[in-house]
Amino acid sequence: MNKKIFIVEDEEKIRDELSNLLNRYGYETQYSLNFENIVDDILKENPHIILLDINLPQYDGYYICREIRKKSKVPIIVVTSRNNEVDELMSMNLGADDFVTKPYNTQILLARISSIMRRAYDNDEVEIFEYRDIKYNLSTSEIEFNEHKIELTKNESRILYTLIKNKGKIVSRNDLINALWQDDEFVDDNTLTVNINRLRRKAEEIGAEGYLQTKRGQGYILI
Amino acid sequence: MRFFDYFKERIIFILLNIIIFIVSSVILGALRVDTYAIIFIFILNLPASLIFYIYDYFNKREYYLNMIQSLKLLDKKYLISEIIKEPSFIEGRILYNVIKEVNKSMNDEISKVKRNADEYKEYIELWVHEVKTPIASCKLLIENNESEITKSIDEEIDKVENYIEQALFYARSNNLEKDYIIKEIYLRKCINSAIKRNANVLIEKQIKIELSNVDKIVLSDSKWIEFILHQIISNSIKYMDKRESAIKLYCEDKGENIVLHISDNGIGIDEKSIKRVFDKGYTGENGRLYSKSTGIGLYLCKKLCEKLGLWITLSSKKGEGTIVSITFPINRMMKF
Repeated sequence: MNKKIFIVEDEEKIRDELSNLLNRYGYETQYSLNFENIVDDILKENPHIILLDINLPQYDGYYICREIRKKSKVPIIVVTSRNNEVDELMSMNLGADDFVTKPYNTQILLARISSIMRRAYDNDEVEIFEYRDIKYNLSTSEIEFNEHKIELTKNESRILYTLIKNKGKIVSRNDLINALWQDDEFVDDNTLTVNINRLRRKAEEIGAEGYLQTKRGQGYILI
Repeated sequence: MRFFDYFKERIIFILLNIIIFIVSSVILGALRVDTYAIIFIFILNLPASLIFYIYDYFNKREYYLNMIQSLKLLDKKYLISEIIKEPSFIEGRILYNVIKEVNKSMNDEISKVKRNADEYKEYIELWVHEVKTPIASCKLLIENNESEITKSIDEEIDKVENYIEQALFYARSNNLEKDYIIKEIYLRKCINSAIKRNANVLIEKQIKIELSNVDKIVLSDSKWIEFILHQIISNSIKYMDKRESAIKLYCEDKGENIVLHISDNGIGIDEKSIKRVFDKGYTGENGRLYSKSTGIGLYLCKKLCEKLGLWITLSSKKGEGTIVSITFPINRMMKF
C-alpha cells in the first residue's frame, strides 16, 4: 500500500506540481480545494503525513496544526515561505514534526518525508525495493540476491537507492554526488569512484554480476 | 563660565551704576547733604550690588556647569533635555523650555522616520515571502520537467533566490529591533545546510569540501548563521581559479571563543583591497575582473555579525586563497 500524503496548499500550481512530484516518488497524494472544513477533511482522509502551508485562506496553518493535534498524532511537516526562527519554533511548539522553507530543495523535502515516514511507521513494514532479482532493504541497508545477503555502507546504500529510484535511466556522476551530499556526506569525485567500485564488488560477491554499469562520460545505470 | 567673562558682559550695568552714583552724590552734595551721609549710602550700596552679582554668578555657574558635565557623560547627547533640571532664573527657564520643545519635535520626527523604516522593512519581508511562492512553483515545475533547458533555468532561479535572500537580510540588518533568536545551535548543522544550498555549483566545479572539528555548539541564530556562511561560501566559489580547488571549514578553540574558519584556495585578495572588503558597495579589483559583484555580500555579513555579537575577519594572500574567520564567544552560563 502506498503512503498517503495530504497537501494543504492554496497555491494551485504548487499543489499540482508537488502532487506530481510525490506521485513520481511513489506516494499517494490528496488535497482539498475548500479550506472551510479543512481540519475535518484532513482527518477524514486519514493520511500518513500532512504537508502544511502556513499562509492559507480562512485559517492559518498554525490553527490547523493545533486543531489536528487535538485529535490525531499524524506527522505534520510545515512548509512555508516564512523563514525565521520564530515561525519554526512556533510550528514545533504547536506539534509539527518538521519545518521546511520554500522554495524547498525537493531532494531535501523528499528526504524529510521519508525519514519521518520511517520514524512513524517503521513498525508495520520495512522498506524493501526490488529491482529484477535484487532486493534492497533500505532500513537495514542490505542487498539480497539468490538468498545471499551483504551489508552496504551508508554511502553505497545511498548510491544504490538513487540508482533504483531512477531504474533504467542513466544517473550522472554529479547527481550521485549530489544525492550523497544531501546525506551530509560531502564526497568528491574520487570517493564516488571508490564507492561505486566497492558497491559493484559487493554485488558481484553475492553473484549479482553486470547490474551496475558504467556509461562512459554519462554516468551509471542499473541494468 | 569664568568670572571675568561674566563681568565683561555686565560691564555696562556696573558702569551705569557707578555713573548714577556719582551723579546722585553730586546732586546730594549740591543739596548740602552731609558728606558722611553720602559715603554711608555709598558703602551701603556697594556690597548690596556686589553680593547680588556674586550670588547670580555662582547660581548660574553651578547650573551650566552641571549641564555641561551631564552632556559629557551622556552617550546619546540628545537625551540631555530629559536630564537637566528646570533652572530658577528666567533666561535659563526660557532656554530650558526651548530645548524641551526642540527635543520633543525631534523625537516626533525620529519616530516618524522609524515608523517609515519599519513599514518598509515589513513590506520587504512580505514581498520576499510573496515572491518565494512563485519561485517554489518554478522549482517544482523544473523538477517535474527535467531537461537541459530547465536545468539552466534552475541555475538562474537559484541566483534570483540568492538576491532575494540578500534583500531580506539587508532589510533585517537595518532594523533596530531584534528579529533573531539566540539559542544553542549546532555549527555542523548550519554548515551542512549552507553547503547543501551550494551543492549544484560546488559539484559542477568539482570543489572539494573538507570539514574538521566542526561539532561545536554555539549561541546564535541558525538562520542568520546559515545566511552568513552561504554568502562566504558563494564568494569562495566565485573566485576560484585553481584546478584542485577546495574549501575547508574548521573550528579552533581559543579560550573563551570558538573561531570558525572558512578557507579557500582561490585567487585571494590584494593587500590594498583587504581593508575595504567589508565596506558597502566595495567590489575591488577581483569584483571588476572576475564576475559580477555587488559589494553587498560581505558588507551584510559584517553587519549581521555585529548584530549577533560575533566578530568576523578576513585574511588573504593574493594567488593563494582567502580565510574568513568568525568568532563565537562562549557564554560561561552555557557550562553547567
